[in-house]
Amino acid sequence: MAYLTVRNATKLFGESVYALRDVSISVESGEFFTLLGPSGCGKTTLLRSIAGFHDLTSGDISVNGSDLGRIPPHKRDIGMVFQDYAVFPHLSVFDNVAFGLKPRKVPAHEIKKRVPEALESVHLTALAKRLPAAMSGGQQQRIGLARAMVINPQLLLMDEPLSNLDAKLRIELREEIRDIQRKVGIATIYVTHDQEEALAISDRICVMSEGHVEQIGTPEEIYGDPQTRFVANFVGTINQLKRCPKLEEVLGMLGLSEVDASAKNASWSVRPEALVLSELAQPASGGAVAEFSGTVQKYTYLGREAHLFLNTAFGEIVVHVANPARARKHDQGETVSVRLNRQALFGFDADGARITTGKAPREGTI
Amino acid sequence: MRLPGFWTLVLVFAWTLLFILLFVPLGTVLIASFIDKVGEPTLNNYITFIESARLRRAFVNTLVVGFAGLGGALVLGTIMAFCLTRFQIAGSRFVSMLAILALVSPPFIGAYSWIVLFGAGGVFRTFLREFGINMPTIYGVSGIVIVFSLKFYPFVYLLVSGALSNVNRSLEEAAEGLGLTPWQRTMKITFPLVLPALSAGGLLALIQAIADFGTPRLLGRGFNVLATEAFTLYSAEVGSNPSMATTISVILVLLSMFFVLVQRFFLRRNVYHGNLINKPIKIRLKGWKNLAAHLAVYAIGLAGATPVIISIIFSLRRTSGPVFQSGFALQSYERIIFGLGDVVRNSLTFSASSVILIVIIGTLIGALVARKTTLNTSLLDGALMIPFVMPGIVIGIAYITVFNTGPLVLTGTALIIILSIFIRRLPYTVRTTSSALRQIAPSMEEAAISLGYSPFQAFAKITVPLIVPGIIAGAMLSFITAINELSSSLVLYVGSTMTIPVRIYLLILDGDLGTAAALSSILLILSGAAVYIAFRFLGRNEQALL
Repeated sequence: MAYLTVRNATKLFGESVYALRDVSISVESGEFFTLLGPSGCGKTTLLRSIAGFHDLTSGDISVNGSDLGRIPPHKRDIGMVFQDYAVFPHLSVFDNVAFGLKPRKVPAHEIKKRVPEALESVHLTALAKRLPAAMSGGQQQRIGLARAMVINPQLLLMDEPLSNLDAKLRIELREEIRDIQRKVGIATIYVTHDQEEALAISDRICVMSEGHVEQIGTPEEIYGDPQTRFVANFVGTINQLKRCPKLEEVLGMLGLSEVDASAKNASWSVRPEALVLSELAQPASGGAVAEFSGTVQKYTYLGREAHLFLNTAFGEIVVHVANPARARKHDQGETVSVRLNRQALFGFDADGARITTGKAPREGTI
Repeated sequence: MRLPGFWTLVLVFAWTLLFILLFVPLGTVLIASFIDKVGEPTLNNYITFIESARLRRAFVNTLVVGFAGLGGALVLGTIMAFCLTRFQIAGSRFVSMLAILALVSPPFIGAYSWIVLFGAGGVFRTFLREFGINMPTIYGVSGIVIVFSLKFYPFVYLLVSGALSNVNRSLEEAAEGLGLTPWQRTMKITFPLVLPALSAGGLLALIQAIADFGTPRLLGRGFNVLATEAFTLYSAEVGSNPSMATTISVILVLLSMFFVLVQRFFLRRNVYHGNLINKPIKIRLKGWKNLAAHLAVYAIGLAGATPVIISIIFSLRRTSGPVFQSGFALQSYERIIFGLGDVVRNSLTFSASSVILIVIIGTLIGALVARKTTLNTSLLDGALMIPFVMPGIVIGIAYITVFNTGPLVLTGTALIIILSIFIRRLPYTVRTTSSALRQIAPSMEEAAISLGYSPFQAFAKITVPLIVPGIIAGAMLSFITAINELSSSLVLYVGSTMTIPVRIYLLILDGDLGTAAALSSILLILSGAAVYIAFRFLGRNEQALL
C-alpha cells in the first residue's frame, strides 16, 4: 500500500462549483510528487485538503495507513511551505525554525542542535539571529523550508514555493529543494503551474485540469507520451496540425490513415523539436518519414536553438532547430522542407484522449 | 469556522450596540424633528427652518465657513505637502511636527489663542495701537475661516504628502520626455494622481469645519452657524426649542453625508495602483526660490502651531484674578491643582474608560469584519461609517433626547459621556484593526497550525503580537480625540461630570484666560504624550493620525 493515498476526493465550493471531482492519487514514501496544472485546476485545493485546511466533501485521505479525515490540521504532523513564505516577521530566523519544535516538547538542548543543522542545510547559519523582515524572498523561503523540515514531519507539502522568486533564483532553489528532499528522504507533494519546474524536480507528476486528474506519470512519460490533448498542450509546446488534404497525405505516408479513419474527429499534433529541417536530417534515419514544405515567416535566434515560424498547409507551424550556429540563417519568404517521423505525431480523439497508433509498420511497407 | 458560537455572539453584540447607541438615538432625533410641541406629526420644523431668516443665514454661514475653511486648508496643506516632499527643506521634521501639533490640539484652543492675540484687548492689537495702527479684531467670519484653515490644513498636508511621495518619478519624467512644461506636467500628471488624496483630505476638513462648534461659538460674535444654533436652541434657558434643535441636527447630518457621497461619486474611478520602482527625489532649490519655499512652510507651520505656543506661554504668565500681569508664575497651574482637580480627573477617567471600551469592542468587531466576510459583516462595516458624518453636537442632542427618559436613563451620568465618545471613535478602531488583520496573510496562521499549534494558539502566538502595536497606537489616537472632545460633552455634562474642554470653554467665556491656557497646556501635554507613544509603536507614521 502506498504511503499517502487520496481516494475519490471531491470538493464542492458552494452548490455546484467542483474544485475537485473524484481525484485519486497515491504517493510512495520518499517520493517527490508534483501536482501540475493551470490556476483553478484544483491542485492547491487538493494540497490544502491533505494539510487539513479544507474539508473534503467526500473521499478520504490516509497517510501511512492511518485515516486523516477526523484529525485537525495541527495534529496531522505535516510540514508545509507556502507561496508567500509565511515567515513570522516578529521572530528571529532561529525562533522561526524552532517554532514547530516547541509544541512537540522537544527538549531545549535538542532544539539547540536541530535548528542550526536545519539552518546549515539551507545556508542560513549566518543569519540565525536576524529578523526576517528585510530579507530577500529567496532567504525567506529558505527559512520556510527549514522550518517545515526541522520537525521531521511525516509528509512535506509545498504550495508553489518558488513562484514569487526571480527566474535565476527559482532554478537555484529548486535544485536545493530537490537535493535536500533526496537527502532526508521525505515524501513531498509539490504544487506548481510551471511545467519546466515540474519536469525538473519531480519523481512523478500529476497533471490536473478543472478538478480532475489528466495523467499521472514520470516527467518522461508526461512530456514524451502525453495521454490527453490537455497534457500535450500544457506541458511543453505543441503544433496543432490543421486538417487538410496534405495531412491525409502525410498520415498516409506514415501509415496512419486507418487509425485516423477509425477514430472520430481525430486531431494530430507534433512537438516543435520533433520536426527536422530536411537539409539537416540524417539520411535514412529509419522508420516511416513524411515531408512537407513551408514558407519562413520569422526566424528567431536564441543561441542554443533557433525557432522557425513557418506558413504551411497545416497552418502556422513552429520548428525548433538545435545548435543553430551550424545552420545558416533563414530569411523571411524562403521555402524550406520539413521532415517528421511516425513517433513524432500525437493523435487525439474528439474527447481529447490519445489515440493509440500501434507499432510502427516495418520499413519498406510504404 | 472555529468557535462559530463566539463570533456569532460578537456579531449579535455589535448590532445590539449599534442599535442602542446609534440607530435609536439617531432615529429619535429624526422622528423628533417631525413632531410638534403637542406631539402631532408635522413638517413645521422644516418649514420654520426654511422660513426663518436667522436659520437660513446659519445654513449659508455654515457653508461659507465650511468652504472657505476648506479652501484655506487645501491651499496651505498642498503648499506644505509639495514643498516638503519635493524640495529639500532644512528642519523638515520640525515643520512636520508643527503640523502634528496643530492637528492634535483641540480646535477651540485655536479660537482662544487668536482671541488672546487679536481679540478686542488682544496682545498684538494693543501693541499695534501704540503705533497708531488700528487693526480689525479677529471676531466674525474672517477669524473663523483663519482658524479653520490653520487647524484643518494638516489633514490635507498629511494625505497629499503621502500621495506625492508615492508618485512614481518615471511618470513625471515620461511626461517631460513627451514635451510637457513643468507646469503642464504638474497639472496633467501629478495633480490627477494626488487628487484622491487631496479630496479625501479636503473632505475631512470640510466635515470637521461644518461640525465644529467651539470656534464659531467663541469667535463668531453674532455670526451663527448650524452647530451653534442647534446648541442655543437646545440649551437656552429661555425660548429653547428642542424639536427645532433636532431638525438642525438632521440637516447637519444630511449635509455631511451629502459631501461624503459627492466625494465618493467623483472619485469612484480614480484609484491608482502605481509601482514605486522610481521614488521621487527632493530637489535642492537655489536662491530666492529656496528662500520662498522655506518661508512658506515655516510660516504655515508656525501659524498653525501658534495656538499651542500661545497657550503654553500664557499658562505661565503671572495673573491677578483673570487679568494678566507682567512676568511669569505658576499661579494658573496652582489654581487647577487646588480647584479643578476633579475636572482633570474626569477627563482622564472618561477618556481612559472609553478608550478601553473602544479597544476591546473595536478589536473584536474589527477581527469579525476582517476574518468573516459575509453580507452581514459587510453591512456592519457600512453601518459603522455613520458616526464619521455625525457632528458631536448631534450625538449630544440625540443622547440627551433618548437617555433622558424611557428604559435607559443616563442623563447626568459619566456613562453617557463615555458612551458618546465611544460610539464616535469606535469606527476608527474597527477600521485599523480590520485593515491590520487583512495585511497579515492567512498563511501566517496556517503555517503555525501546520507546525502543531491549535488555531487558538496560532492566533495568540502569531496574529496578536503582529497587531498589538497597531492596536496600542490606535488606542492612543482615540485617547487624543476623547480627551479633546468638546461639543457632545457640552450638551451632556452636569456639574459633576465636567471635562477639561468644557471647563476651558466656560473659562474663555468668563474671560479667565490664564486658567484656560493652563488647562489647554495640560490637554496638549496629554495629547503629545499619546502621539509619542503611538509613534513609538507604529514608527513615525503621521498619516495614522487621521
